Amino acid sequence: MELYLICEDSLEGIFTGIYEAYVTKRPHDEVHIQVGEEENLRLFAEYRNITPDPAKAVKVARTIGQKFGGEAYMSICRALAAEDNSKGEAIYKMIAGGLSMKNPNDIMGNLADPYVLKVFELDRFSGRETHLLTGFIRFQELENGILYSRIGPKNNVLTFLMPHFADRFPMENFVIHDEKRGLYGLHPQKKKWYVVTEAEGFEFNPADHTYSEDEAIYSELFTMFFHTIAIEDRKNPKLHRNILPLRYREYMVEFK
Amino acid sequence: MQIRISEEMSMMEKLGILADAAKYDVSCASSGVDRKNNGSGIGNSAAGGICHSFSADGRCISLLKILFTNECIYDCKYCANRRTNDVPRASFTPDEICNLVIEFYRRNYIEGLFLSSGIINSPDYTMELIYQAICKLRNQYLFQGYIHVKCIPGTHPDIVQKLGLVVDRISVNLELPTAQGLSELAPNKHRKTILAPMRQIQQGIQQSKKELVAYRNAPSFVPGGQSTQMIIGATPENDYQIINVAENLYQKFQLKRVYYSAFVNTTEDSLLPALAGGPPLLREHRLYQADWLLRFYGFQAAELLSEEKPNFNILLDPKADWALRHLEKFPVEINRADYHTILRVPGIGTKSAERIVRARKSGALRFEDLKKIGVVLKRALYFITCSGKMMYNTRIEEDYITRNLLTVKERLPFDKDGITYKQLSLFDDVNFQPPEIMTRQLYDGQSVVLGQL
Ligand code: SF4
Repeated sequence: MELYLICEDSLEGIFTGIYEAYVTKRPHDEVHIQVGEEENLRLFAEYRNITPDPAKAVKVARTIGQKFGGEAYMSICRALAAEDNSKGEAIYKMIAGGLSMKNPNDIMGNLADPYVLKVFELDRFSGRETHLLTGFIRFQELENGILYSRIGPKNNVLTFLMPHFADRFPMENFVIHDEKRGLYGLHPQKKKWYVVTEAEGFEFNPADHTYSEDEAIYSELFTMFFHTIAIEDRKNPKLHRNILPLRYREYMVEFK
Repeated sequence: MQIRISEEMSMMEKLGILADAAKYDVSCASSGVDRKNNGSGIGNSAAGGICHSFSADGRCISLLKILFTNECIYDCKYCANRRTNDVPRASFTPDEICNLVIEFYRRNYIEGLFLSSGIINSPDYTMELIYQAICKLRNQYLFQGYIHVKCIPGTHPDIVQKLGLVVDRISVNLELPTAQGLSELAPNKHRKTILAPMRQIQQGIQQSKKELVAYRNAPSFVPGGQSTQMIIGATPENDYQIINVAENLYQKFQLKRVYYSAFVNTTEDSLLPALAGGPPLLREHRLYQADWLLRFYGFQAAELLSEEKPNFNILLDPKADWALRHLEKFPVEINRADYHTILRVPGIGTKSAERIVRARKSGALRFEDLKKIGVVLKRALYFITCSGKMMYNTRIEEDYITRNLLTVKERLPFDKDGITYKQLSLFDDVNFQPPEIMTRQLYDGQSVVLGQL
């Protein structure tokens, strides 16, 4: 009978699931990783809920790093951030296949394998959004000097964004708020960044704060700059929509 | 000089004037420098470059692209800021620039600053002011983000030298592909005073790289490399001349980028072509495609065009055009050919070629595998075999493949509505109605172009 391991949608949850899959000692094609709730339950299948376990997850992470190398590990992490329910299964099967390869180090090159290809695509999907957001994020200055940014990304990319901005703005207090997932990335001046969740009881409501006096001035200046540098003779709305999708514009001052 | 007026202007007006005046410079890239923040101040630089927005014309906005001043003592015919043009003038103070950069950067509007300028008093006087402003931004405002400064031709080497140590990129614009074009349209500029700082920067970069190997803390000189820009379509050079110039700039001056700017007629000067069809966007696009082939695909200018065929095909991109003229090199066997050979297949880019070379290590690839790994076969299929077999029963024959390639609609980065095929034919030598300057026999072919480089 097929076995479905139901995992939490997190690195820890899915890695724990992969660990448990190995513990069962069953053939890999009979075991599946399922992220989140199943919509259509199968009659002849066994379901098991997996509780995330940091110790087990670390073992899996270590194995991935050792066998496949750091680059593949990062690809897997980015794939895990992607919004796609089949990611757990793809990563599990890719690892299972990769461990039996002659050259596990080159696992990400084996794109003819459907699971590797899936992980590769998910990696690109969330990687691309991370890259776009490093540019498209907008901070607004609150009256106490804190820089506040709201995002609503398709993928769970907050943890990939934080290191970039923490390096860039070491002297700033800033907050990046993923309003779709209730996550907050916090960076206190000259300290390490961290992520807190609404579920943990953290709340930060920008409506409780007013914007700084300068905020309106600079957002207007930038908006004017943005419109000024477009060359009339070369305007191209179709191309513009393709390269700057509407769902990002919602958060960008120059489109307000 | 009207500097008095500019001091009473609001920031909004100033920025409006000085951003508007800077918008025709194409370059906005922030790439090529990987620099972490040192734990203080503000800013870093990402090697891949970051786009912060896209303007309505589809160009990436990465840097705050402004002029220091649009006052100018020169009279370049194509430029709205030229001395004899009646436009409102403005100048920034160094603190105004610094504040704008920092406040825009903190809000993540920009990746850094791209500062160019008209000329007040003299090139040296202006560049010294710019140098002071940049020093202030680096040392007083502690800005560690990306800075690109455009160098005015004729600037004293000492100023270029010290500027190179505080900025990431310098560009000296070639402006027009040939010296003749330059002397017609920019009478105060000379090819020599453009190429001299280019050479100096090139040597400075080489020197600095050596020093960095010797002592890790040596200051780095123009770490982002230098770039330049040519205006396309204001003077009658053909594509062959232009890509030869570009090739020489890459090979002999080690430029990072050459930008091509389809001429937009803002001044209506009688020496300039009227361009009824708008800016020559398709031509600019073909030049960028060819430029790409020179930089990343191992092509040489002489392979793409020749004296006999001096302009790019309107209907086909330069690589497909090349392939059709070299059918003896096809089909290419995907499972055996080396990376560089695969790169020459129309429709296969660097990413696809890399994936093919990597994926075939785990077993011979079939056409369906190619599709799976994301290789687009629409155009490539006429030029490749997988384990000896073509995908369909196609012939290696010029007319046949051309016809088929033309049915695959090319994706162009500008709207087809804005530029019809009738207008496109303007680029054909035959149909081109040259303005006065173009009919004169100014150009002694390639030797002139290359002799200067
Ligand atoms: S030097 Fe020429 S191109 Fe530059 S601002 Fe002056 S007139 Fe314009």
